[in-house]
Amino acid sequence: MKTLEMDIRGQVCPSSLLLVLREINRHHQELISGQLCIVILTDNRAATGTVPEAVRNMGVDAVVEKVDKYYRITTQQQNVRGKRN
Amino acid sequence: MTVDFSVWVVMVALSLIGLAAGFLMHRSDFCMASAFRDVFLFKSYRLLRALVLLITLSALLFELCRLTGILPAYPFPWFSPPVGVNFFGGMVFGLGMVLAGGCVVGVLYKMGGGSLMALVAFVGLLAGSALYAEFHPWWMALAKQTSFATKAVTLPQWIGVSPIAPIIVLVAVGGFFCWRWLRAGDWIDTNEAEGFIPLWLTVVGLAVLGVLVVFLCGVPMGVTTSYAKGAALVESWLIPGHLATLPYFTAISSYNALPIDGVMRSGGAGATFDIVAIVQLPLILGIIGGSWLSAQLLGEFRIIWKLPIKQVAMVFTGGVIMALGARMSFGCNVWHLWGGLPLLTMQSLLFVAGLFPGAWFGGKVLQQVLVSGK
Repeated sequence: MKTLEMDIRGQVCPSSLLLVLREINRHHQELISGQLCIVILTDNRAATGTVPEAVRNMGVDAVVEKVDKYYRITTQQQNVRGKRN
Repeated sequence: MTVDFSVWVVMVALSLIGLAAGFLMHRSDFCMASAFRDVFLFKSYRLLRALVLLITLSALLFELCRLTGILPAYPFPWFSPPVGVNFFGGMVFGLGMVLAGGCVVGVLYKMGGGSLMALVAFVGLLAGSALYAEFHPWWMALAKQTSFATKAVTLPQWIGVSPIAPIIVLVAVGGFFCWRWLRAGDWIDTNEAEGFIPLWLTVVGLAVLGVLVVFLCGVPMGVTTSYAKGAALVESWLIPGHLATLPYFTAISSYNALPIDGVMRSGGAGATFDIVAIVQLPLILGIIGGSWLSAQLLGEFRIIWKLPIKQVAMVFTGGVIMALGARMSFGCNVWHLWGGLPLLTMQSLLFVAGLFPGAWFGGKVLQQVLVSGK
């Protein structure tokens, strides 16, 4: 699987959401089929709510983890977590 | 210069209120700029709902205080009758706050959390305040030409009724919508940030803090005239001769008595320690400190030095425009939304009506700058 990393730390609000939405629109099929995942590094606390909600509405799941002093949001196929459970 | 003990008491109390407000805002990322911007950009009403709750609760609390005689003055000092340019100022402010990535208070709590971009917006706010001083007399003359309802500050005064009925209507309508959102589960937050405080809880806390500010100061929360003071201070170092020629910085424009001692004090936008500094500076420092504390406790305080230059330019410009909007409308969003609107002051109603088209246009520009061309 390919990974697209987006480092949006320090950027103006709402860069995280706008840039992620743009990339999801560009790579929608690859994301749905699990060929690509997007990793977003952000220090915007609001993005830990807005980004997963927006990507889920577009048929892609997202996982939020706190890493050091920022957050990492990783997209994944919507049924992956269900299969694991 | 000696400072009265009562003034020290008020300033320490305001610092603590600012500290609590900054802490809450950082934990919930309560951004008033996003409240307007997200309606147009993402069709998201989450933060606007929170703002409706804040205005409704504040209106209820302020009116209860007025009825029980606790509120020092009605309407609050420093609000004046409306002028048509309040609407235009609101539009300019709405555009500026979206480009700056936060309003005049959002910039403070984001700065306290370590955002260098917010510091850029803050510098823009100082620059915009200095720019306004250059055309203040002309703007005041224009404002005078667009004045109406010259004796009424609030809507109830304009229509000639007691405030209680219009405020009951405001609280009933706001309360009805908040209840409907509760039934629909719209107050449930999905935010996964560590230490996140639900937005509704932060808003309840902020409404109470807003009333405490009025108890202590006699006026609601405001910060932007102190940004002008900051600009005046810089000009007093760099171009003192020019500063002395600017009426905006040299005039005494505000009078207020702190409820604690009843002593009438004066103030203005100049670089002096006066009543404006007494009621605003502790809040500014408190909000930055509260947000810093929250970020430190979470281990999230970190300054990112590498910033996209295009964004830096946009944020600085946004800060300048936001300061111009605040001065052109005789108050910022915090002053009008948190202080004026709960009292139905007509200045604030016009300002808020202007915020929407301003935020809409700001969203269009923001989208172009952030996502085009890559």
